[in-house]
Formats: sequence, C-alpha cells, structure tokens
Amino acid sequence: MRDCAIQVRGVGKRYPHFTLRGIDLDVPDGTVLGLIGPNGAGKSTLLRILMGLVRADAGRVTVLGRDMPAAERWIKARVGFVSEDMALYGAATLGWHMQLVRDMHPGWDDGRASDLLDRFHLDPSQRVRGFSRGQQVKALLLLAMARRADVLVFDEPTAGLDPIVRHEVLTLLAASRGERRALIFSSHYGDDVAALADDVAFVHGGRLIAHAPVGELLGGGKGLEKVFLEHVAALGGGRAA
Amino acid sequence: MNAGMIVRLVRKDCWLMRWPLAAYILAALAGLALTVWGGSAGRSAGITLALNVLIGVSFHVMLDPVLGERERKTLAFVMSLPVTPGDAAVAKLTAAFVLFLIPATIAATALVWLSPIDIPAAMAASHQSLWSHVLGTLGYYGVVLGAWMLFFSVVLAAAIVSESVGWTIAVLTGLLFVLGNFVLQVLPTLHGVARYLRALGRGQAALPVTIACEAAGIAAIVAIVLMLQRRKTSFV
Repeated sequence: MRDCAIQVRGVGKRYPHFTLRGIDLDVPDGTVLGLIGPNGAGKSTLLRILMGLVRADAGRVTVLGRDMPAAERWIKARVGFVSEDMALYGAATLGWHMQLVRDMHPGWDDGRASDLLDRFHLDPSQRVRGFSRGQQVKALLLLAMARRADVLVFDEPTAGLDPIVRHEVLTLLAASRGERRALIFSSHYGDDVAALADDVAFVHGGRLIAHAPVGELLGGGKGLEKVFLEHVAALGGGRAA
Repeated sequence: MNAGMIVRLVRKDCWLMRWPLAAYILAALAGLALTVWGGSAGRSAGITLALNVLIGVSFHVMLDPVLGERERKTLAFVMSLPVTPGDAAVAKLTAAFVLFLIPATIAATALVWLSPIDIPAAMAASHQSLWSHVLGTLGYYGVVLGAWMLFFSVVLAAAIVSESVGWTIAVLTGLLFVLGNFVLQVLPTLHGVARYLRALGRGQAALPVTIACEAAGIAAIVAIVLMLQRRKTSFV
C-alpha cells in the first residue's frame, strides 16, 4: 500500500450558517485528487484546513506525515497553494514576488521559474496590477510550482479563465505529475477533473458524499457532473446531506 | 517564532509602503523646519503639519498594510508562505511600529520644540549641568513620543484584532476626540493631575515614571493582541 501524502480524519468545522462534518480523505503518494461540488459545499473550507488557513474544530489533518497545524511551517514549506480568492500585491512586479517566495522557500528552482515564465508568456518586470485575470492565475501557479513543492493544493485554479488559458493550465499540471507527491484541487468543471485526476471526491452540504477512482465513477459513459447530480439526487432531491 | 521569516515579512510591508513613508517623512521634516525657523506663523503651520503627519500615518498604516491585506486578498498569499499566524501577527505589529515610528519621531521633535519648558531659562534658574538638561529634554521627548505610540498601539490592536475598518475608525476617532478632549481639558483641572504635570514640566521623577508607564501600556497591548491572535481560527 502506498503512503498517504494527505490524510484527513473526522475533520469538522462549524460556522454560523454552514457546517463541514466528518470528512475522511486519503490522497496517496503519486495521485491527483479532484474535488467536485457546488458553491458553498465546503471544498474551499476543506482545502484551507489542509493549508492551516482555517483551524478545524474536530478531527486530524496529516500532510506529508506531519500534523497540521502543529507542523504548520514545515508543511507550508513543502506545499504550494493557489486559491481563486488569492491575490498578489498590485503595486509590485512579478519579479518582486518571485524574490519574496525565493527568500522564503529553500526549494525554489530558478530554472523552473524561468521555464514557467516562458511557458506562460509572463514578464517579471510587469506590475501585477496590469495583469489580466488569466495572467494573475498563471503568476500564482508559477509561484507555487517553482518552489518544487511536494504537494500542490489548488482551490478552483481554472475558475474565470478563458478556454485557452484553462487548457494551458491543465496541460501544465498534467505534464508536471511526476514532479510532486500529490495534487488536490477543486473545480466546478467535471471535464477538468476527469482530464487530470486519478480519484474524485464529491462534496455536498459540508459532507463527502462519494470518493472513488475517476474511471469507476465514469463507468457508465456519463460525465462527472451528471454522476455528481445523481449522487446528490440519491441523497434526497438535492438537499444538504 | 521564526525570526528570519518575520524579518522578511516586515521588509515586505516596508517596501510596499516606501512611497507613502517617504511622503510622511518629507511632511514631518517640513513641519519641523517650519517650527524651528518659521517665526510665529510658521510655528503654527509646522505644529499643524506635525500633528497631521501623526494622525495621517496612523490612519495609513491601519488601512493599508494592516487591514488592506485582507481587503486586497493578499492575506491568503502571505499565509500560504511558510509562516505561522503568530509569525504573521508579530511581523505585522513590528512593521506597523516601524512605519509609524520613522515619521512620528520627526513629527514629535516638532512638538517637543514647542515645549512649554524653556530649557535655557530652566538651566539658568536651577544651575544644573547641561547633561541633566539634555536628559530632561530627551525624557520629555520620550513622554511625547510614548504617548503617541500608546495611542497608536491601541488603534493598531483594534485593527489587528477586529480586522474591521469600521471598528478601527471608531476606536481612532474615539481616542482622538473623546479621550483627547478629556486629557487636554478635564485632566489638567484635577488637583492631583495638575501637580503631576508641573512635576513632569520640571523633569522630576515623574518623567521616567511616565515613560515607564507608557512602555508598560504598549507592552500590555502587544501581549493582549498576540494572545487574542492565538485564539483565532481563521487567517484568510
């Protein structure tokens, strides 16, 4: 049996109008896990708990064999995180951001950063406030991937991107599979998950309602979105589980 | 705490605030120059400028590097770096104090220049050594700067703990107008306080005691902020 890059046991988080409950999840070494679920399902909360940006009320999170948040600094040094609602400093250039991340990450790889700059057609001397949405996402991906992270955690990395940029991002993530131990990402797009992930987890109403290999769920020739909707319907007409 | 990471975060905030900081330093220097060489009209303009620098830099530091981080969604980027919430809070407090203290030190010099204590006259009257008067002036300077730092610390604490522009402005305006008026107009009329202020003016033991109280107040506020930060469960 393979080691787990990420292990989540009984994780819960209560907010005034939303509760994430009893999440159990394993992401084995060498695999890609895609999270699918509607807005407000709890995908972002779960990914933020993995990154230590939100503290769980219950349960245990282990990343690369160490507990979050006890080993927060150690884990963050080995995990690249990109979120849809994450931004860079508009007044600073991409080159300044690269220098900041390079100073804080011993694993930063200048060659890799240079490759990604070329691949994404980004100018390091340009101020971030002049970037389009697609360029900002590419810049965030560059900063996360040039540090040679063991694990990548991406929350809706392709949201709001045009089809060309979306394709570029997915191609890059697929091509760089061998460079890390695991990737976990959330998406509204079933096609993205089907193209990239080995396993898929459906999140709905703060619960994990399914977790299986993509091939297993796609067995009937249906798209992942349709399979997700069937799982939700089986829970009782789409209400929170 | 990781000192290396904290220093990098402080450097980041100072670099991002370098142009506003330069403007505040220039304004504070202009205020000081007017106070020293501007005659009676210049002194009035200089003191107004110095006070505006102190208030302006307080507002700016709260709204930009402290509260702006969440507003601009850069907080998630910072917190994804290999730092703990404790590292980030200490870095933010340090950066805020550095950004405030540089222009505030110059502006406070203008305020001290207009001090009601006439140092040469005091020297002639008391026949004390020049050194004791230098110490007295520095002490008075410490009291003025300490009072502003204490004021700044309370507003900074409100900004970091509440993460709310509304609450921060409420605390700032409350301190400026309610407490400010109380200190300037009501406190001096109280008998014990008036005696204390006279003692302060003569540079007696009240001076180091006041500075020590201000320092203790600032330290207590920083400790409370760090304690409350530890109880937070969301950092984005």
